[in-house]
Formats: sequence, structure tokens, C-alpha cells
Amino acid sequence: MPAIGEEKRREDAFACYVLPEVAVLARVARSLTHNGADAEDLVQETLLSAFRAIDRFDGAHPRAWLLTIMRNAELKRHRRRRPRLLYEGETVESWSATDPDSACASPEQVVVGREFDAVVAQSLAALPDRHRQVVELVDIDGLSYAEAAEVIGVPVGTVMSRLHRARSRIRHRLTAAGLAPKRSMR
Amino acid sequence: MKKMWKGAISRMRCMRTMPVLQSYLDGNVDEATARRVAAHLEDCLRCGLEVEVYSEIKSALAEQRDAVDQGALDRLQHFAAHLAAGEDPAAGKNGS
Repeated sequence: MPAIGEEKRREDAFACYVLPEVAVLARVARSLTHNGADAEDLVQETLLSAFRAIDRFDGAHPRAWLLTIMRNAELKRHRRRRPRLLYEGETVESWSATDPDSACASPEQVVVGREFDAVVAQSLAALPDRHRQVVELVDIDGLSYAEAAEVIGVPVGTVMSRLHRARSRIRHRLTAAGLAPKRSMR
Repeated sequence: MKKMWKGAISRMRCMRTMPVLQSYLDGNVDEATARRVAAHLEDCLRCGLEVEVYSEIKSALAEQRDAVDQGALDRLQHFAAHLAAGEDPAAGKNGS
């Protein structure tokens, strides 16, 4: 059993490094699981593991540390439970239906219009899983390339190329829908 | 002749800019590249339009950021606060 001073240090460290990251963890968990209940479970597991390991954490890059814990927790969950079939079987409609707010973006923020946003959302949902995941982590959850690489467990260069290719596909769809100009050169 | 050269140089600059455009938008290029791209964007309509399109795509995606359910977030904050207060994690989990 740890001494009282040690326990206090641990609790302080947890409050200092982990509490400010809960919202980010919740967003990332949602992108990883595509399910509200699973996302909540995943964050709780991550928080518990972080609490247990906080003594060994050196205080540098808490977000990256937590994202690594989350990735491991998610891998464990996958081994324990269902594979990725549900995730792959999702449809554009079910994806949008879980997120009613995304359909009503504020007009000030939409420059080209509602249709533009709709095509972006559809294009995102139609991307291959690996590409969609990086877009969600970087553009929706706001992670850096390095943090996204940490979550997925791939090199930063891989995140970058998947992300750029994914956005490029979204851009092509916008062009096809007449919502973006054709690229005049590559 | 002079016009042809100007066009060729401009195209060359575009070809150097296009591959780094997305990294530039993400703030993921070094300072020298950022300066070079910014300078080119001021002169080039094609690349300027391209940046605008990608910025719009990024904005449209970022608007989906509020998708996390506030109730779930509150429960998770509460759960984390339990842990930070040194309370029994299992009790915190059940009680959330």
C-alpha cells in the first residue's frame, strides 16, 4: 500500500496531466469505436490504466502517453470482443444518424453551403476505413500528425500520406458534384 | 518568348507547391517552405483556389467536432475526478 505522501503525489499528477485531456480522449474514442457506449467504456478503461501507471509517467507529452494507453486498451477490447465487422458494415445513413448535430451547421461557418458539407460528410463515410480514421483523428478530433500516429500505431509519414490521399478523394467528389473547381494541373 | 518563360517558371512553382499544400495548411512544414508557399499563393490563382478548397474541406470536417455527447462527457469527467480524488476506481466506475 503506498504511503500517504505518495498517494497524494499520484492523485495530483493524475489531476494535472490526465483531467485536462478527458474531452480529447472522448472524441478520439468515438472515432475509434463509432459507438457511444463503447467509446465511454474505452475512455474509462484508459483512465483507469492511466491512474495505475501514473507513477511511471515522466510528465512529458501527457496526451501522447494517454493516446498510447488508449490504443492498447482498444486493441485489448478488440481481442476480447467483436472484430471490426460492425465498423465496416456501417452505412452513410447510420453514420449520420448518430450525429444529428452535424446536419445543422451554423450558416456563418459554411462558406460554400450546406451541400458542400453534405458531400464532405458523404465522401468521408465512403472512404476506406484506414483513410477515414486519420481524417477523423486529425481534422475532426484535432490531433496532430504525431498524435494520430500514436493512436493508430503507424509512422507519422503514413498518417500524412493517408490523410492527404483521403482529403484528395473528398476534393475529387466535390469537383464531381460541381462544388469545387477542377484542378488545372497536378 | 519572355511570356513563355514566365509561364514555365510559374508552372514549376505550382508543381513545387501542390505536394506540400496540405501540410502547409496543417502547419506541418518548416519555416522556409511556409514562406515559399505563402509567397507563391499570393501570385498564383490556381494554387490559391486549391488552398481555399482544402481549407473549406477542413472547416466542414471540423464542424463535426461537437459530436461527443455532453452527457457522456460529463460522466467521464466525473469518473476522472473520482480517480483524481483518490476514490476507489471501481466505485467511481459503478457510481458514474
